[in-house]
Amino acid sequence: MVPAASMTTGTAPGVLVADVSFRPTSPEGGRFTRADLVFSGVDHSETSYEVRVFLNNPTADASTPRMAEQGYAGRFVVFGHGGCFGDEGHCELPSEPRARTDLRLAHPLTPQTKLVTVTDALRQILAEQEEGLRQVTLVPVSKDPNRDQRGPTDSLFRFDGLELQTYLTETEEVSTST
Amino acid sequence: MGVRKSVYVLAAAEVEALREAFLAVMGLRDERGYQYHAGLHGLPLPIQCRHGDILFLPWHRAYLYFFELALQDRVPEVTIPWWDWTSATAHQDGLPPTHAAQAREDGRANPLFDSEVLLPQAELELVRERLPGALTDDDPPRTRRDPDLPDELPRDRTIRSILRAPTFSDFSSRLENVHNDVHVWVGGSMSAVPVAGFDPVFWSHHAMIDRLWYLWQLAHPGSLPPAQTLDLALAPFPMTVRQTLDISVLGYEYAVQTS
Repeated sequence: MVPAASMTTGTAPGVLVADVSFRPTSPEGGRFTRADLVFSGVDHSETSYEVRVFLNNPTADASTPRMAEQGYAGRFVVFGHGGCFGDEGHCELPSEPRARTDLRLAHPLTPQTKLVTVTDALRQILAEQEEGLRQVTLVPVSKDPNRDQRGPTDSLFRFDGLELQTYLTETEEVSTST
Repeated sequence: MGVRKSVYVLAAAEVEALREAFLAVMGLRDERGYQYHAGLHGLPLPIQCRHGDILFLPWHRAYLYFFELALQDRVPEVTIPWWDWTSATAHQDGLPPTHAAQAREDGRANPLFDSEVLLPQAELELVRERLPGALTDDDPPRTRRDPDLPDELPRDRTIRSILRAPTFSDFSSRLENVHNDVHVWVGGSMSAVPVAGFDPVFWSHHAMIDRLWYLWQLAHPGSLPPAQTLDLALAPFPMTVRQTLDISVLGYEYAVQTS
């Protein structure tokens, strides 16, 4: 996993660049039917937002077209809780694991896991770029209720880290990229 | 057996019945009424909807089930139509005409266009402060929308890929992301958990989500949510996850798509 804390700031506030290395050296390593970027510990307590994902484009920002030629690989959307509406402590997550006899459901603000399927974008990089996947750029954009208030944000997107997961499944076409 | 149909194929009389059912439920101020049902999702506290976990689909199926029964208590033949936001019509026009029009053909207000939002004063002030644009400035406030460009709605090929997801967990997670996308696409009230349930289009958006789960179930017979979740209760509804799995037991089905 690439911890969020280890990522560098991109060319605009809020944009994060994760240095990664994915260049399969064997045919087996390049055989996948699906590739996901999995984001763990994603905060959803505030205003809704989306995170656009670009591969091997460290200068991407909110104005970068969402096109394959720009390395755009997909996005995820966080449906936000809009802040805390309870009394003091209402939105604080339990600091300790709950007892086995505690049957309450998980706290509604428990950080979430999000994934972006990047199969096609990754295949293209592996087919065309000798060094393989080197950077993942994350561009957060707020999704305020008013469209004219939406835009780049450096405060909403908080998460623990990301990792690339590849799979061989029966339901998707096998990649032969190496 | 109630049959949920595409919002785009409803006959004029069916649209009118749906509007009358919403209007009747909106006229009730007790637990049979619109404010009660809409408020179960978000405000007033507690916020009870489940997002980002394995209960997302079962909880919202139960939610629609009980709201649909509330509608049918007023107008028995009514079901909640689904809004196929992947359709060519949606990608051209955006919101469905049943919900987009502020007034009906005869000039009366369209109850599918918006709704009052009755909240305790302290919660309303926080919504106005933290989520400007989620509600109108009226007293009492009403839901509002600020939709994006129609062609920004999710695409059919995205849904076809998600319907091939091999497990419930994978399917649910990927479908929820599309669900989130449509919420923020509509904008206004729909873009924020605390007040999204008050927008009348919420129900047709979630009927689409529920229908996609049904289609995935048909394509993956026997694929269930994780065993340890099956007997979890879906508060505040008197149902478990297991009780949401078969929609025929819940008394409804989905019409074959014809547009």
